Amino acid sequence: MALQLNLLHEQIEAQRQRQRDPLKIGMMALGAIGALMLLFYMFKAYQTLQIKNRLSSVQHDWSKVEPKVTAAQKRSKELTAIISTTKVLDAMVEGRFFWAPLLQKLSRCVAPNAQLMSLDGAVSEDNKQVTLTVQGLAAGREPRSAAEELRQLLTEQLSQSYSEVKVEFKTLEDLDTIVNVGGANMAIARYALGVTLNPAPEPPKAPTPAPRTKR
Amino acid sequence: MTKSNKLSKDQIQKLALSVMGFFVLLYVYFSFFLGPLNRSRAVAEKTIATLQAKLGSSKGEMLTAANLESEATAATTRFATFKSLSPEGAPIAWFPPRMKLFFTNQQIDKTTARLESSAAFKQLELSEWMKYTWVIDLPQTDFVSVGKAVSELENTEPLLTISKLSIKAGTDDPQFQQASLVLNNAIMKR
Repeated sequence: MALQLNLLHEQIEAQRQRQRDPLKIGMMALGAIGALMLLFYMFKAYQTLQIKNRLSSVQHDWSKVEPKVTAAQKRSKELTAIISTTKVLDAMVEGRFFWAPLLQKLSRCVAPNAQLMSLDGAVSEDNKQVTLTVQGLAAGREPRSAAEELRQLLTEQLSQSYSEVKVEFKTLEDLDTIVNVGGANMAIARYALGVTLNPAPEPPKAPTPAPRTKR
Repeated sequence: MTKSNKLSKDQIQKLALSVMGFFVLLYVYFSFFLGPLNRSRAVAEKTIATLQAKLGSSKGEMLTAANLESEATAATTRFATFKSLSPEGAPIAWFPPRMKLFFTNQQIDKTTARLESSAAFKQLELSEWMKYTWVIDLPQTDFVSVGKAVSELENTEPLLTISKLSIKAGTDDPQFQQASLVLNNAIMKR
């Protein structure tokens, strides 16, 4: 068996050492990972670029539509405000209390022997109650009866148009003065009537069911 | 053989350096390359979604506005009428002369109108409107004329309400009565 002498074993050993140099292997691994990362980055960048292109196209579309939409939104807001304001104003207009019909009814109730001296009326803030104070003089053989007739007539007439009508005497006093009405001397009484009413008309009464008859 | 498998100190140092290099690479990659890219992509996607949602709803909004426009014709006309009842300028400048002219036309002279108070409405819908309270004195009139004038006033001035009314027999001349009205008027702010 021939003897082999490896005279280059130191050089070979050194070469092997160089080949398995951890730094070199590490750098190679880093290089490989870096290349993969770069590829991944490029893929992602391409995707992002596509999204940005889509974004610019959508932004272009929106820039065309936006002025119209803004104008439509502004107009809608304006119209909504107008509608709601008109509704409230309409409610105010329709809910207000009209004094003229009340004055008309009052003037029709006053007989020639029941003179009005003053009239003070007020309507509540919510238009749900009207208060009225009527002062005057009633003349007649029975001046108190004349005043009472006026009170009853007022109640009857006002109840036709309004609800919760109350007409009550605040004061009713005989006076010593005698007046001449239509050529006849009559005694007079001073009265003050307090009237309260709800401007809403009386709700129609529900028909009462007919009593059941036994068969 | 065992000697060759063991790492020398120099090799361990190099290995540690490689590991550190790897982490530095990861940090730089995620912090300065992939991170910003992902963030900008996410922002772009979010913006696209928002804009597409806006585009989608824009058609509906324009349609709603068009429908509202046709539905609000009556309200718009009515609102214009209400608005026309409030001329330009301070109400104290134009309302008393208007009332004076009105009652003169109703054969009632010597009318005085004065402003009692003004306040904003409680309703939010009437933020552009003010409530003015006026006192109208009619020192020389009669019950029938007042009644007719009140009727005409209530019919011609829809935004005006009479909150108080007082009619008294005149002390000097029983032929005449004195009347006083407290009016509330809604007037648009100008």
